Amino acid sequence: MNLRSIQRVVCLATLIVAVMDLPLFAEVPLHQQIDSLVGVGNEQFEKNASKPADDATFLRRVTLDLTGTIPSVDEVHAFLNDQSTDKRTQLVDRLLASPEHARRLQYFFDTMMMERRRDKYIPAAQWRNYLRTSFSENKPWNVLVHEILSADGTDEKTRPAAKFLLDRELKAEEVTRDLGRVFLGRDLQCAQCHDHPNVNDYLQRHYHGLNAFLNRSYLFKDPKTKKASIGEKAEGLVSFTSVFTKEEGKTAPRMLDLPEIADPPMPKDPYKVKPAKNVRSVPVYSRRLQLANAMTNPTNVAFQQNIVNRLWAMMMGRGLVEPLDMWHADNPPSNPKLLNLLTESLRKNKYNIRLMLREMALTKTYQRSSHVAKDAKIPEETSFSVALLKPLSPEQLAWSMMQATGLTEKTLHSLKAKQSKADAKKGQKKTEDPQWQEEALHDALSRNVTAFVTTFGIVGAQTSQFDASANQALFLRNGPLLQSWLVPSKNNLTARLKKLKASDQIAEELYLSVFSRHPNKMEKAQVAAYLNETQAQSNQGLQQLVWAALASDEFRFNH
Amino acid sequence: MRRNQGCHQLDHQLARRQFLAGAASGAVGLGLLGSPANAEKIKGQHKRVLQLYLQGGVSQLESWDPKPGTEYGGPFRAIPTSVPGMHISELLPYTAQRMHLLSIVRSINLKTNDHGQGRLFMEKGRRAGEFPYVGSIASKYLAPANSELPGYIHISTRGLNDSTAAFLGAQHAQLKFEGVKPPKNLAIPKGLDQTTDARRVQLRQQFNKQFGRGRTKSMTESFDASFIQAAKLMGRKSFFEKPPAQKDLERYGTHDFGRNCLLARALLENDATCVKVTHHGYDSHAENFNFHLEQLGEFDKTFAMLLDDLHERGLLESTLVMVYSEFGRTPKINVRYGRDHWGTAWSIALGGCGIQPGAIIGKTNEKGTAVADREVDAGHLFHTYLQALGIDSTGDHEIAGRSIPIGDPTAQAIKELLA
Repeated sequence: MNLRSIQRVVCLATLIVAVMDLPLFAEVPLHQQIDSLVGVGNEQFEKNASKPADDATFLRRVTLDLTGTIPSVDEVHAFLNDQSTDKRTQLVDRLLASPEHARRLQYFFDTMMMERRRDKYIPAAQWRNYLRTSFSENKPWNVLVHEILSADGTDEKTRPAAKFLLDRELKAEEVTRDLGRVFLGRDLQCAQCHDHPNVNDYLQRHYHGLNAFLNRSYLFKDPKTKKASIGEKAEGLVSFTSVFTKEEGKTAPRMLDLPEIADPPMPKDPYKVKPAKNVRSVPVYSRRLQLANAMTNPTNVAFQQNIVNRLWAMMMGRGLVEPLDMWHADNPPSNPKLLNLLTESLRKNKYNIRLMLREMALTKTYQRSSHVAKDAKIPEETSFSVALLKPLSPEQLAWSMMQATGLTEKTLHSLKAKQSKADAKKGQKKTEDPQWQEEALHDALSRNVTAFVTTFGIVGAQTSQFDASANQALFLRNGPLLQSWLVPSKNNLTARLKKLKASDQIAEELYLSVFSRHPNKMEKAQVAAYLNETQAQSNQGLQQLVWAALASDEFRFNH
Repeated sequence: MRRNQGCHQLDHQLARRQFLAGAASGAVGLGLLGSPANAEKIKGQHKRVLQLYLQGGVSQLESWDPKPGTEYGGPFRAIPTSVPGMHISELLPYTAQRMHLLSIVRSINLKTNDHGQGRLFMEKGRRAGEFPYVGSIASKYLAPANSELPGYIHISTRGLNDSTAAFLGAQHAQLKFEGVKPPKNLAIPKGLDQTTDARRVQLRQQFNKQFGRGRTKSMTESFDASFIQAAKLMGRKSFFEKPPAQKDLERYGTHDFGRNCLLARALLENDATCVKVTHHGYDSHAENFNFHLEQLGEFDKTFAMLLDDLHERGLLESTLVMVYSEFGRTPKINVRYGRDHWGTAWSIALGGCGIQPGAIIGKTNEKGTAVADREVDAGHLFHTYLQALGIDSTGDHEIAGRSIPIGDPTAQAIKELLA
């Protein structure tokens, strides 16, 4: 044995020891594993990747992503002054535990599953409440989806969960398509009448395999209570003919290419409740009830991939597969290893959404700046070596504007006072409860949020494109709602600015309130120049200073 | 109760209609031909769409496919038109004299009698799913990059707000005008003067400039473009407020529909890409004949004047004109003298850009209860509109990494209708 081989043996031995030792020191945290798959540590990658975002940018970004609004001025101060080395981790954990986080996920998943369609049978308030409660107790994704796909609307306790199916009226083309898109990441719509013309992977049997879970179900309206629920027949097969080739096919329920789920032998009496006029029929064997099981079954990898891809897109601004519902061989994930890691980890961690978001937020990838260095080329979006801009959702935009202008704080203040006055004994204590605060504020300001959703929300298919329309710009530019928030009142932003004399102070307060950061020298000078010009009408001058900041690109995007 | 008129009055009005029809025919040929001077102007014009949506479902029997003297024909007669051999209902005397500019499709079967489904099918060319409306497609593919107006403007006096752009994005969604009222939020906020307004917009751009350095531009550019478009609309505020000329009002009529059509004309003249005007109130489950007498009475002359103006200004060659509904009305007359929903055998009229004028496509059987020849549905019509506009409807939308067939791949254009 020469010297080199001895070295090799020693190295190998150390390596083996190290690997064997690993469990003792716990596994490498998921966020580090993610980073190394993105390219962290790779010299070439590091050279081109943008720098870590500064504390203020990180605070704004993660507060928007996890709680749906920008931070308050106090929060910005506190975070910037915090000297602890793990303050980002602490922040992420604090945000994830807040009532605002459950609200943010309520908005996010409501939009994802119901796509801002108009209410039909289940009032949106009940459904949203159900979602929010689920997220505040961190209900695992598979459990949540199981509830949503198995509720039939007859039990008051689980009725809100039935909104996904009931509000689509069990219509095959809507339910089937949306099951594929929302839960499996595959828009099979064009495979309804024929194998997809452009996508080789989308077959007519995939569409009809999903449809077969529901083709025996129907919308039942109780003539007495007028309530809608789901009834089901014991028979009914799915067969289809291609409008192109006239080929015929048959399928039992199935998840894409997973095996068909055969019906058990038909019993002599196939019904628990027989079909009759004004009666909701219930079969002994329900195909519909197989849906929730098959969807959340561990073998259904598409279901797991879909949710990690959507959570990744929520945090990083772009899915590993993009568009989120166009998963097929010609549109593969940009980073398959990373996708596998996330999918496995989701399974291992029992579909824990909060944990997944936590690990994503802790990555270097998430915490990068959205600025590329001077002279550097802007890298491919799929490399995730620079943070991508994320347009604020209508809800994020509304809450952030209310936060920035001081409306949130002003409203909370008066809500607290009212509660304390109304309940002299416990009122004050109650108002200290973050849950009470979140709900009271939400109720008080929800009409403003609705106004933004009406203007900025898009009904139907989600796309990753950002689009702005003239109506939206007119709403921001001239709409009375935003203008009313600019009028100085109590302790709102313009009232605070009015009290300040020096333009430097005004710039500081403005930037901290609206952009959640300190202004730089040039920005201070810019504010000073503007104030100088508009001195004659300082009232409007300050208001429109705030307006210009609110209507700016920096405010419109999470960056 | 204006609509619930007795028989006597109906007779009376009918006589008046006949008189008007006669008077109109005398005017044929005068002023309807495009002047040569205008022909030059046409060149280089971008293609556009004028949609006249008769909401509720106009009766094909009282409009484009009359069956006088048959079991379900109703009380109105058929009159000859400017196209030899082509007859339409006597409720459309002005339009009748301009049929050489239009064509009729008489053999539509949508297989639905539902307002919502019929409307979406007619607009999207698909029975179901999230697809863009004709207007949004026009906005996407026909609107010039430097357009002064949003690509798709809908003039209507009622609610109904659809997601019209689907995956084409918010900038191609319809911008709705409530009648001739300008869009919402067009005026500078109270208390702000022009100088302050200009300064705040400038300040906004200053903020953006710093933010944009070293960042990808596509999203911020889209956001900024919406402000530019908003500013253009604001700059045209007076355009919306300017009262129409008395002479025009006399020709078009002083009713909402007349005013809306005048606005549509002005928009098209100012290079709008798709303008849709909704004429409400054709859902005549009772008193179908009185309803149509009144509704089409309002529609007919206004539409004819608009058609004349587009023609005279040389705009018709670059403007596809669609007169359509979500379905037609049942041949069978119900006990309330009404006609109900009927998507099974009904008609629309098309003209202008890319359309062979003076044609009749398809026919219904003698009683009008079924399509007898050349059955088409909204999928075929959809391909036809787009191909008339020079858009390859058999191609794909290429949107953010996905290819989506523009028209339903199982339907085709009505080739014989294309010029």
